[in-house]
Amino acid sequence: MIEVKGLSHSFRVGKKGKETEVPVLKELALKARDGEIVSIVGRSGSGKSTLLHILAGFLQPDAGRVLVDGTDLTAMGEAQRAAFRLDRFGFVFQNFQLMPGLTAFENIELPLTLKGVPASERKRKVEELMESVGLTGIRGHYPNELSGGQQQRVGIARALVTEPPVIFADEPTGSLDSETEQDILNLILSLNRKYGITFVIITHDDEVAAIANRQYRMHDGELAEGGIRHVV
Amino acid sequence: MSFKDQIAFVRQHIRRNRLRVFMTVLAATMGTAFLIVLASVGFGLQKTIKDDILSNQMVTQIEVYSEEMTDAKADAMKEIDHVEAVVHRKQLVPAAIGELEAYKGHLNTYFTNFKDEQASGFRLAEGRFPEKPGEVIVGSQFAAQLIAESVEVKEGEEPASYDGSVIGQTFTFSFEGENDETASGTWPFTIVGVKEAPGKDWAFDGYLYLDESFMKEIESAYVAASPDLDEQEDMPFTNSSVNVYADDLANVKAITQKLKDDGYAVYSVSEEIEQIDVFFLALKAGLIFVGTIAILIASIGIFNTMTMAVTERTREIGVMKALGAGPKLIQRLFLMESAWIGLVGTVIAVVISYGVSFAANAILPIIVDAALGGETGDSFEVTFSVIPWQLVLIASAISLTVAMISGWRPARKATKTDVIGALRHEL
Repeated sequence: MIEVKGLSHSFRVGKKGKETEVPVLKELALKARDGEIVSIVGRSGSGKSTLLHILAGFLQPDAGRVLVDGTDLTAMGEAQRAAFRLDRFGFVFQNFQLMPGLTAFENIELPLTLKGVPASERKRKVEELMESVGLTGIRGHYPNELSGGQQQRVGIARALVTEPPVIFADEPTGSLDSETEQDILNLILSLNRKYGITFVIITHDDEVAAIANRQYRMHDGELAEGGIRHVV
Repeated sequence: MSFKDQIAFVRQHIRRNRLRVFMTVLAATMGTAFLIVLASVGFGLQKTIKDDILSNQMVTQIEVYSEEMTDAKADAMKEIDHVEAVVHRKQLVPAAIGELEAYKGHLNTYFTNFKDEQASGFRLAEGRFPEKPGEVIVGSQFAAQLIAESVEVKEGEEPASYDGSVIGQTFTFSFEGENDETASGTWPFTIVGVKEAPGKDWAFDGYLYLDESFMKEIESAYVAASPDLDEQEDMPFTNSSVNVYADDLANVKAITQKLKDDGYAVYSVSEEIEQIDVFFLALKAGLIFVGTIAILIASIGIFNTMTMAVTERTREIGVMKALGAGPKLIQRLFLMESAWIGLVGTVIAVVISYGVSFAANAILPIIVDAALGGETGDSFEVTFSVIPWQLVLIASAISLTVAMISGWRPARKATKTDVIGALRHEL
């Protein structure tokens, strides 16, 4: 379970010496139970990306705590947070963020390589996963040889490969056409059901947000819970 | 991430930037090769000079001087550890005269113990060592001292000297007493051996070598021919030289020191070589220093390449950090890349340096010989370049250290990459 308490953050902008503080997150509280899909919807500049960066441990907040199964992420150093991410989190990005020099197979394999998993086991896991997310036949393709939908599937497979309990998705369908968007959302839903993975999805798109069990709406750095529903 | 995967990762990056990495490796190679070849000249000249010294004399010989040398003292030296032989030669003071057929000449005469001489490495060009009384050995230029007195010498011409083989010849030996007029008597000596010529071209060896058992006979003849002789002071022999021979070059220094401690004036080749070594150590250090500057220049290339690599891969570093790569791993991956550049550059440089060294030693003497109009002669043997393993080790250490240091800052920069900024970074 992810629990956020009293989270505040502001950015300092302007020239050195004449900086002004712009508050981005104001005393936020958020909860994501195990196996839930949580969406955070908001317009550009509402602070939703900053919230995701803090949840993922990319950024240290000015105040407040982020608890993941009781462990305070904000109390950790950079190296500890990196190790924690590798162990517990998966990431899906809007522009896929695949390594251009690695093949689809190698991109999916990367988190396992970072974890030090033996090559034979990596091969087995990646092959299984590629099959299950519909990525057969593109094993040796480089990212620039794949369609947007295929790249995002590779991105999702990379997030899944370490079997993390939580996956953060930042505008996962932002770069895709509507038909492909639906495919990806269906994939997220099926993975959530099949493996009980918690998804935290950041989006500006209400259609995407609609697949969530728990919805938050973000406006000017403040968060409002939009309700809990059960998707059939 | 396992070490094997780290290497695979680095190799994959290098493959993607082949040309730039190649140019950087080339710069590292040139810098390191320059250092090795430059320093190898110092090693080469040192070798040439050392070899020159060692070829010109008995390297294990230690010359000992003392005003009051006695046989007992010389014998005592035989007891020093690692002393193979002690040769105590005594020279005949009065001028001796040798006559062979119609040829006559003044002789310098040594009395010595042939057993000790043999043990010390005294070699004969021909013949054998004396076995019976009356048998002697002569120096290689002995015959040249015997001049034909009956032949008149025209102006500007050298007098004719004995030019036949002296082996087996018997000549008459005599010398004069103290007042130069009284003859001491004559002895017939048969030449049974000729000493090997000395290594130095200018060294003269026309000596007559007699067994020390003759000394008594010569001495009493001398005393008989010198009525005013003060027997205490005017002995016919001087303790001209004592040479101590070590069993190995490595022990020369220790024996030299022991003899010095015992109060003797001593000279050995180790003294000379030590001075040369000190000089060349300074020279080589200077050359390595100059060579290191070349490597430092190459390091700017490595620094540049690595900084570019980090900048280019900002997004990738961001993704890796986002996925969970720790700062230490990121730093190690970049350090490995600069170390790889340094290592490959060093290996190629070592191979090239040996090639250049070999070529220099093969071609330069020919060029120098040609430039001097072929006047250098057969004895012109100069080693221009020598690369000992120590030099390879020093150069490799410098090259790798410099490569790592130049990769250090870019690697640190990589670890400080901001994940959020990097993920927004466009390729």
